[in-house]
Amino acid sequence: MNITRRDFLRASAAIVAARGLKESGVFALQQALAGQTAVPVIWLQGLGCNGDSVSLLNTIYYASADELLLNTIDLEYHPTVMAAAGDLAVSAAEDTEVAGGYVLVIEGAIPTGADGAYCTIWEGMTMQNALTTFAPNASFILAVGTCAAYGGMSAGAPNPTMCKGVTGVLGNLAKIINIPGCPAHPDWIVGTISYLLENGQAPPLDANRRPLMYFGNRIHDWCYDRRRFCGTNYKATQLSQPGCLQNLGCKGPQTYADCYMRKFNSGEKGRFGGNWCIGARSPCQGCVQPNYPDGMSPFFAG
Amino acid sequence: MATTIKVDPLTRIEGHLAVEVNIESVGGTQQVVDAKCSGTAFRGFEPILANRDPRDAVYYTQRICGVCPTSHAQASALCLEQAFGVTPPTNGRVIRNLILGADHIQSHVLHFYHLAALDYINTTGILNKGPWVPRYVTSDMISGPTASMLVEHYVQALAIRRKAHEMGAIFGAKLPCNSTIVCGGTTEVVSAEKINDFRALLTEIRAFVDDVYIPDVQALGSLFPQYFSLGAGCGNLLAFGVFDLDNAGNTKLLARGRYTEGAYGSVDPAQIVEYVKYSWYTDASGNKNPAVGITEPYVGKPGAYSWDKAPRYASKVHEAGPLARMWVNGDYRNGVSAMDRLVARALESKKVADAMDGWLNELVVSSPVYNQKSVPVSATGVGLTEAPRGALAHWIQISGSKIARYQVVTPTSWNASPKDDLEQKGPIEQALIGAPVADTAQPIEVLRIVHSFDPCLACTVH
Repeated sequence: MNITRRDFLRASAAIVAARGLKESGVFALQQALAGQTAVPVIWLQGLGCNGDSVSLLNTIYYASADELLLNTIDLEYHPTVMAAAGDLAVSAAEDTEVAGGYVLVIEGAIPTGADGAYCTIWEGMTMQNALTTFAPNASFILAVGTCAAYGGMSAGAPNPTMCKGVTGVLGNLAKIINIPGCPAHPDWIVGTISYLLENGQAPPLDANRRPLMYFGNRIHDWCYDRRRFCGTNYKATQLSQPGCLQNLGCKGPQTYADCYMRKFNSGEKGRFGGNWCIGARSPCQGCVQPNYPDGMSPFFAG
Repeated sequence: MATTIKVDPLTRIEGHLAVEVNIESVGGTQQVVDAKCSGTAFRGFEPILANRDPRDAVYYTQRICGVCPTSHAQASALCLEQAFGVTPPTNGRVIRNLILGADHIQSHVLHFYHLAALDYINTTGILNKGPWVPRYVTSDMISGPTASMLVEHYVQALAIRRKAHEMGAIFGAKLPCNSTIVCGGTTEVVSAEKINDFRALLTEIRAFVDDVYIPDVQALGSLFPQYFSLGAGCGNLLAFGVFDLDNAGNTKLLARGRYTEGAYGSVDPAQIVEYVKYSWYTDASGNKNPAVGITEPYVGKPGAYSWDKAPRYASKVHEAGPLARMWVNGDYRNGVSAMDRLVARALESKKVADAMDGWLNELVVSSPVYNQKSVPVSATGVGLTEAPRGALAHWIQISGSKIARYQVVTPTSWNASPKDDLEQKGPIEQALIGAPVADTAQPIEVLRIVHSFDPCLACTVH
């Protein structure tokens, strides 16, 4: 039995009244039901850990996960959250590809060894083939997470599956935007998508194709802990001590991202998060850099 | 007439899983008579870890899984601590439990509402766009006002799982992939403000678990009673235990133990062997305890059908997961089935969340969180713990102060395993056999049974 939109709204209102729920979720559903147009998104996963998808679900600064999924994007294919399975799921991706004009999100690296046999995303489709199949009709390609952007952990020496990032497979196409991080901060993902929707073009990028608005500053130059102890030469000599972590392996001096300000796991819309690696006295791992992890490890020193 | 269905990709799980089932009519009912689980991706974390600084393993191994990275950090820290000869101080142990608990709850809430529930609710007319369309629609699904209410809870659960991560990040720096769990304890310290902030979020999350999550799972059980007798599987249950209650890890909130062929037993990691007859690895990678394990891929190996090895305990197939934990601890022994797995997961969320409130009282402001110990030249270690979806273990061998060997066996390595050298099928494969499939174009019964295990394939193969 299908219920009409009116039935649903009436039922929702009754649920809210009966259970004392906050109205935000219902409001978002009503907006979705009003038939707003949303940008289609195809989200493919190669060799990764799903951490960027989980990180995305933590979004709140620009939009909460329900606002994003219900109102902002039309997530036509995402293997972790989509209702459909098997051939029905594949048809959703293929139909969107034919229609064109979608944002293609790649999470995880692309293994190129053994003709791509180290990752098949559905029967007969390697991740390597999927990238070259779905790239041409995409308006933009977001390589989300360091694996998708540069190979990341999946390409760590000896790179057993010959993993590459998106540009490593497709070349430096103008429509590719890298949003690295292990995992990527949800604000970096959602903020970039909302920039694309508002402006119809990529935001200004650095030489590693990262949006300058998030990856423009060197962490060490803005690090709260270094500044606090600046001039006192106060450096921590053991983990869990206060002070600059430079002697313990911190990669803040080689790393460009706004973690020092944005922090992670924001609790409220429009507010920055409460904690970050260096703030919790653990050395920056340099996880947004193209040479992560091999060029950034050992992670600990001393 | 026999039919073969391949569900590839099997969605609403973590990672790349394909499930093939053969269906025949048995006694007038169309049902699964054979099943194959294939992990379709291989990353090679074990070779990647070789020759690195052992301390780095806590950060590397978290990247095996973005859903349960904290559990890998804990397994890795325990394994390193045994090799280094160090234990964390009380604050460090408790902080780790709190971050782990936060990640457990977010994973359980995510699993029920966002991964499993869509198998039971017809959201047509409520959620009319991707990722909820297209979808299977079967006549037994919940519709009408109850479906609307569950969709409302689906939305509410998005916020609750986010808040569980915000709670964990208070001590973990960030989630997923915390940066504070290290060999010897934690880097983050205790403050009164952090305790208060943590408790405020925990109180809200506990209310959701008590008032929404558990009642919803119980309601689902009453609407689909047949799933208490479907998806049983091998019936053997294995738990490594988690949430250490003393600094040496001798007592745990959820104890170590197993239930094999109807009898309770202790767990000895030396009894674990990984087989590869049906896995895409060389023969040298098979028939070994992980302490001496080898991982050499063999693309195109004849007869093989998965990147997952087949771990067995004392040569026997075992299921891992919240049901195994709750069963061996005597907290839940209603039965072993698809629905029992969902119920045990919900009840465990409450047990963990309630305990976390007490752990906050054990924290002492300005007491140490970390015990320093330098890297040994040569040592071995094993770390046993539990990820949200089941028993997790890491093994390390250190030589020349570098990692000489690192092996990981995850919960879904057990659950989604292919056949072993003794021709025994894995737990999910066994659970599928005998399941009725009413409509081969929409094998919803297959999805419900597979999802009850909460598979994580990035973990499985790593």
